[in-house]
Amino acid sequence: MADASFLFGQFLGGLTTAMFLFLIASGLSLVFGVMRVLNFAHGSFYMIGAYLAWQVVQWLAPILHGFWLAALAAALGVALLGGLIERLLLRHIYGREEIYQLLLTYALVLILGDAAKALWGTHQLSVSRPPMLAGGIEAFGAILPAYNLFIMLIGAAIAVAGWLVLTRSPSGRMVRAAALDREMLGALGANVGALYTGMFVVSSFLAGLSGALVTPIQSIVPGMDVEIIVEAFIVVVIGGLGSFWGTFWGSVIYGQVLSFGILILPGFSLFSVFALMAVILIVRPWGLFGRPLR
Amino acid sequence: MMPQRLLAVIVAASLVPVAAAAQSTIKIGYPMPLSGPASVYGVPIVKGAEMAVQEINASGGVLGRKLELLTRDSKASADEAVRLARELIIKNSVDFLSGTLTSAEAPAVSTIAKENKIVFVAPTSKTIQLVSPANLHPYIFRLASNTDIDGRTGASIIAGWKEVKRVATIAPDYAYGRDAVGAFVDFIKKARPDIEIVDQQWPKLGQSDFTPFITAQMAKKPDAVFCDVFGGDFVTFAKQAAPLGYFKAIDNRLADGGEVGTTDAAQALGKDYPYGIWSDAYDPVIWPENEPAAHKTYIEHLKAFTKEKYASGWAIMGYASILALAEGIKKAGSTNSAKVAKAMLGLSFDTPIGKLTFNPKTHETEMGEFWGQMVKDDRYPFAIMKNPKYLSQGPFTD
Amino acid sequence: MTSPAAAAARRVPWTLVVFLVAFTIPWFGSRYETFLATQIAISALFAVSLNLLLGTTGLVSFGHVAYFGIGSYVCGILMKTYGLPFAIALPAAAFGASLGALVFGFFCVRLTRIYFAMLTLAFSQIVWAICFKWNDVTGGDQGLPDVPYPDLGWMSSVPLLDELRVSDHFYLLTLVLVMLSLAAMQRIIASPFGRMLTTIRENPERAASIGLDVRGYELAAFVVAGGFAGIAGALFGIFNRGVFADYVYWPKSAEVMIMTILGGIDHFWGPVVGAATLVLLNQEITSYTEYWPLVLGAILLVLLFAFPGGIAGGLAAGFAWLRRKRAERAGA
Repeated sequence: MADASFLFGQFLGGLTTAMFLFLIASGLSLVFGVMRVLNFAHGSFYMIGAYLAWQVVQWLAPILHGFWLAALAAALGVALLGGLIERLLLRHIYGREEIYQLLLTYALVLILGDAAKALWGTHQLSVSRPPMLAGGIEAFGAILPAYNLFIMLIGAAIAVAGWLVLTRSPSGRMVRAAALDREMLGALGANVGALYTGMFVVSSFLAGLSGALVTPIQSIVPGMDVEIIVEAFIVVVIGGLGSFWGTFWGSVIYGQVLSFGILILPGFSLFSVFALMAVILIVRPWGLFGRPLR
Repeated sequence: MMPQRLLAVIVAASLVPVAAAAQSTIKIGYPMPLSGPASVYGVPIVKGAEMAVQEINASGGVLGRKLELLTRDSKASADEAVRLARELIIKNSVDFLSGTLTSAEAPAVSTIAKENKIVFVAPTSKTIQLVSPANLHPYIFRLASNTDIDGRTGASIIAGWKEVKRVATIAPDYAYGRDAVGAFVDFIKKARPDIEIVDQQWPKLGQSDFTPFITAQMAKKPDAVFCDVFGGDFVTFAKQAAPLGYFKAIDNRLADGGEVGTTDAAQALGKDYPYGIWSDAYDPVIWPENEPAAHKTYIEHLKAFTKEKYASGWAIMGYASILALAEGIKKAGSTNSAKVAKAMLGLSFDTPIGKLTFNPKTHETEMGEFWGQMVKDDRYPFAIMKNPKYLSQGPFTD
Repeated sequence: MTSPAAAAARRVPWTLVVFLVAFTIPWFGSRYETFLATQIAISALFAVSLNLLLGTTGLVSFGHVAYFGIGSYVCGILMKTYGLPFAIALPAAAFGASLGALVFGFFCVRLTRIYFAMLTLAFSQIVWAICFKWNDVTGGDQGLPDVPYPDLGWMSSVPLLDELRVSDHFYLLTLVLVMLSLAAMQRIIASPFGRMLTTIRENPERAASIGLDVRGYELAAFVVAGGFAGIAGALFGIFNRGVFADYVYWPKSAEVMIMTILGGIDHFWGPVVGAATLVLLNQEITSYTEYWPLVLGAILLVLLFAFPGGIAGGLAAGFAWLRRKRAERAGA
């Protein structure tokens, strides 16, 4: 019964799931892996990105279908918000235990969630697919919507760009050095503060962008921040802290496990991601590509 | 030593008696999700209840007393709903309880209503557990239809499609979805023995990506689908299914029992709505033909009350829950819960969508669902229900 | 150096005083105050059990709610479905929760820091999924409403107690059980075992190098904390008149963690203060606004920047400062 085109279709389905998750998780991975900050508010940034994109689309609606402009504006808006939060709040607690960082970002989740509710209400909202990506392509008997393909390409581009920047550029080397030993890097005269702000802004940009980019295929509702953050955390952990590729592969594995898992166990979706994380962490205590933490 | 002293201060502070408010209004406690994904429905329901209270008070209240609504955010969580219900009873001395959205919240609050002997009207909870013989008690009443009716009315729609032979289902993986789909399958097997259930998908509630479920279902080549995905999840589902050719493959033969025939879901999707599918609604809101006059007035009021261009289809449940209580109090001539509970057995009352009567045996109204095909109408920028057909519970109950 | 009054104040056994005051609430307080006090007592036990990991051992568990949930389900199922008495259901709940903690903890303590936290979260979510889906036993997502109160009929034949309600009787039982559990945990922390846990928190490498079985100790702490969380869960299921899958869902873990940190993880009584504060604030503020998360978020920010040691830490520092000032003045 399992013919090749069906399996291929299912593979593509899993890949779509994976790449949407990777878009969100990529920004989280940077902050989580390098700054060692468990940024619970990353999901909130993602949600605000979605709402901002919707808002800008509404504003532009009388003139044009400005989805791309809206996505860019949303990403920049969230990047700005992230930068402010890093400067005003986050940087004061880098030296403290993880649990306080967690508490701070959780407080932000609560505040930003209510702020979004106050600003945009509790209606379900949505944005149409940009017309140029409304169609789809057929491959081996399976349909791949153009927008899903676009997301896959964006995901791959972010993965490659992230890898290149982190491994090949001077600032990337600094970032990696910071992940290993922050004090040492500071002692060597590097401006670790500016580096961290930059990292956080990039991460927020990615969160805002991913929030904007999911609006054509997902509803914007209150609570979408909390729905996504745990899954995003998990793929980062599965991949291993500090490993950008790890997050990429963590997402891909999760997508495929979900996609094929539901064929065997129809009620699998409820706990799939947790079961996967438990299995991986039991077998590999530092994730797939991670290193032991000191 | 100091923390102990602080604790003593806190305990002492909690001993200061809470001033009892003057007992001039009739208080109705209303826990309802006002945050998180479920607030999409919770907020309009509360708006409907608030409007009913305002209208009743404007016309002199009930038994000469004004109604007062005490709304609280239940976060769609059973334990929070229980905590709020108890707090409303023992701190705020509410006379009645209504509200709660989900099938987990309402039975939990029903326990509290039973213990405290306070009438509780559940507007939207659909679980059959709520008023099953084991759980029925004198103080619980329900407005909405139950999951059996959702599944069976959906089955009656699909059973009418003669050319359909292969049917699939997709519903959220929790009691509501499982029960409705179970009722659907039982009913359609009896109504159309020639129909085969070829696939069943169970995404979780709040699934962010439905693609693998959709591709897996399409591979089984169903002719028609019974769907119980609702609200924000339905918006996500529809937007992901359309470009995969899902609706085209089944020729739009999808019946959704999750109230996505309301303006709420239709507005959210706009022109992305899968035109041509069938769905149900508590209140179709936009009713181009044969709209009852009472409904027209109600919708006009609601639009003015909420300052929205189009009204919500969920508000009716909050509105009717207050009407039910008000009529019960009037009939009992008292706000004593035991008397009101008795008065509500067999109580008939008018709502904008028709007359409802509490069945004295089951404590439920016979409220059914409006079903219809969702079509394009040039007067509106979103899908509307064509000729909403009211399927009352009558033919679908055991 | 301290004044005679302060010295006298120090000799007063404040714990006992608080306990005695709390004991009189059903007689002197309203029904609502008893309700609040029950909730505070149970939350306090839950928070202190978490702090056995967080503060004492330095283990950040995101999944402590799993053991709270197991306890409430075991107790609820035994009492409601099987009609067993509380005297059997409560120890069973504690045992079940410890057993769960032993099994999951075995895998968790092999991991460190964030990985440890995430694995505890994974296990708690798996427990949640089981509770959510296993309809026949747990009632699925609708849970088990209507868990009976323990049979405390004998209290009605005792003078003074006979005038109270069932919920008041349950409160007295809860209070006694919570106080006994807290006393037990205080003993554990003060014991040589507890001091080993603190050593592990301070410096796990060093603890290992002196031949300490770090994992073994961590696992033992995990099991003990799980057992007490189970007792809290069992009591909460009865108090809240039902057992629901929400008890095991991760935001509940966040809630108890906030209680613990709010109160202060460096003091044994910190989580108790945190639990009382959070419960009272939550009750008050949700009556006025639906924007409770916003208020809570703001409180957490103030806490983080103004009182890094939590309320207890802040108070302790404040009193220490006062005492120093007074000493200086006395010396001058």
